[in-house]
Amino acid sequence: MGLFMQTTVNGILIGGIFITIAVGFSISYGVMHIVDFAVGEWIMLGAFTAFWLNQYTKIDPLLLIPFIALFFALVGYLFQPIIQKVVNIKHRSAAMMALAFTFGLSTLLRGSALTLWGFNNRNLVTMLSEMNVNLFGITVPAIRAAATVFSIFVTAAFAFFLYRTKTGITIRAAAEDKTVAGLMGIDGHRISRLVYAIYVGLTAMSGVFIGSIFSVFPDMGLRYTAFAFFVVVAGGMGSFSGAIVAGLLLGLISSFVSVYVGGAYVFLILFFILYLILVFLPKGILGKGW
Amino acid sequence: MSISKSFSPVKLIILFLSMVVLCCLPFVVSSFVLRIATGIMMWIGLALSWNMLGGYMGYISFGHGASFGLGAYIAGMLMTQLHLPFFVSLLIAGILTYIFAALVGYPTLRLSGSYFAIGTWAFAEMMRQLVLVLTITGGPEGLRLPPMLNDNFFYFVMFGLALLVFMVAYLFFEHSDFGLKVKAVREEETAARTLGLNTTWVKNQVFALSSMFAGIIGGAFAYWITFIHPDSVLGPLIADQMVIMVLLGGIGTLFGPVIGAIVLYVGNQYMLVMWGQSSAYLIILGLAICLVILFLPEGLMSLLRILRGRRRGIIKRLLPGMKKSNI
Repeated sequence: MGLFMQTTVNGILIGGIFITIAVGFSISYGVMHIVDFAVGEWIMLGAFTAFWLNQYTKIDPLLLIPFIALFFALVGYLFQPIIQKVVNIKHRSAAMMALAFTFGLSTLLRGSALTLWGFNNRNLVTMLSEMNVNLFGITVPAIRAAATVFSIFVTAAFAFFLYRTKTGITIRAAAEDKTVAGLMGIDGHRISRLVYAIYVGLTAMSGVFIGSIFSVFPDMGLRYTAFAFFVVVAGGMGSFSGAIVAGLLLGLISSFVSVYVGGAYVFLILFFILYLILVFLPKGILGKGW
Repeated sequence: MSISKSFSPVKLIILFLSMVVLCCLPFVVSSFVLRIATGIMMWIGLALSWNMLGGYMGYISFGHGASFGLGAYIAGMLMTQLHLPFFVSLLIAGILTYIFAALVGYPTLRLSGSYFAIGTWAFAEMMRQLVLVLTITGGPEGLRLPPMLNDNFFYFVMFGLALLVFMVAYLFFEHSDFGLKVKAVREEETAARTLGLNTTWVKNQVFALSSMFAGIIGGAFAYWITFIHPDSVLGPLIADQMVIMVLLGGIGTLFGPVIGAIVLYVGNQYMLVMWGQSSAYLIILGLAICLVILFLPEGLMSLLRILRGRRRGIIKRLLPGMKKSNI
């Protein structure tokens, strides 16, 4: 029973961070209609930035989070016009070209990271790394708890931004129908840039937590791209509530499979479920996606 | 449209001469060059097989490496465990990959666009994980095949396979009703269906056919390399390279994948010789995809077309009275 409870808590705690990633990812899909294969690489870059900054400045990675979020938001903001250029390309399958482009981008970023930093695993040590909280006989690593609390906070703030502010409403309008939104005077390009900036910032920021919970290595992107796809596909593209349910589901599945079946099977089972959901429930488990 | 009509005598002579050169190659060049030529042939076949699905039908798959790995493992297991001869294993690997792809394709092809890309990608990763945990495939230890050290043999096998795939692409996709049906699916699937085309059947056939060729080539690759591992034959790099080669050469054309395969493979081998096994190759690959899509979305083939168009323009300007058909 203790192990079961422990696994459940671990799963829920790790699910929280996936929700943050999925929320940014699916809103960027909604506005730009690009499935970003490079999502995991932004996580990897966020984690590495935290690691190197920590090495040189000795500031705790958790305190670096706002800086990393802002920095990567700026990177996304500056980079977005290139992606927009690909989307607007005169080609009979422009959407597919954009997909292949992000795929190339992910290969490029992964290759650069591997070449610069090698295959080694690195540990991102934070002030919470050694701490554990004991709750009714269940050990909760403080860093995981912090990550979950933080991601709930960020997701809630993002939801508030999307649903209660004027900019948020224009973003949702652009996601729903870009042409009509344009007719209403919403600048689609500006919105796309903003959304992409938010998405890259959120993703890189989650990378800091992921790096400090697990470890930091250049090849980590692939795994988190898979996780992001899982959450977004299972939750339904663009669905907020779906992303939350799917994020928790992903956390629970990966933690239960690795405890009760074996670590080698986690990806096999995750990819199998992802494939089944794609084929049989393309609108997500809640049926709320686009 | 018959073959003789679409080939002018000059082109036929060029084709014949290049065939003669390619057949004599093993007896002229060193074994190092021959191995590179074998690799080029293999990748031409793979790129052409991907192009059937991604180019002619417009279904971008990031999981085509799964068929390659499946073929490699089927052929490898038949040869090591049942001790079947190479060509029989290759044939069985092809048939089994075809059947498997047809079964998998049926649900997968209901997806389209980005969802299809994610679905195939997820399926391919699933296959790799499955092979890693199974014991019959050797798991993470990989699979060792009986060695056969005859470079000429493998050159001719790969050459034959590349030629076969090329002929199929030429006959079925460029010069037949079937090719038109496939292109109709790419251009407007719903319209094609309303016109009475059984799109499900067409899509499934193309998927299975292109997977079958990838599987056969995978089987030949396994025997050539003699050691296969889930990360080497089922890894994402295999599918990546197929996609890049086709994009680089020109998607949806007959010669595009051939050019792309030659350029990329020679570049890859050159880097291998100069710098050794390096992850910098990934940088070049990624950069190549991004730059090609940004600046040359129709691939190197469009460059050729532009050059030819310019030359025609010059001739036209020089000879204003000349008839268009004469040029």
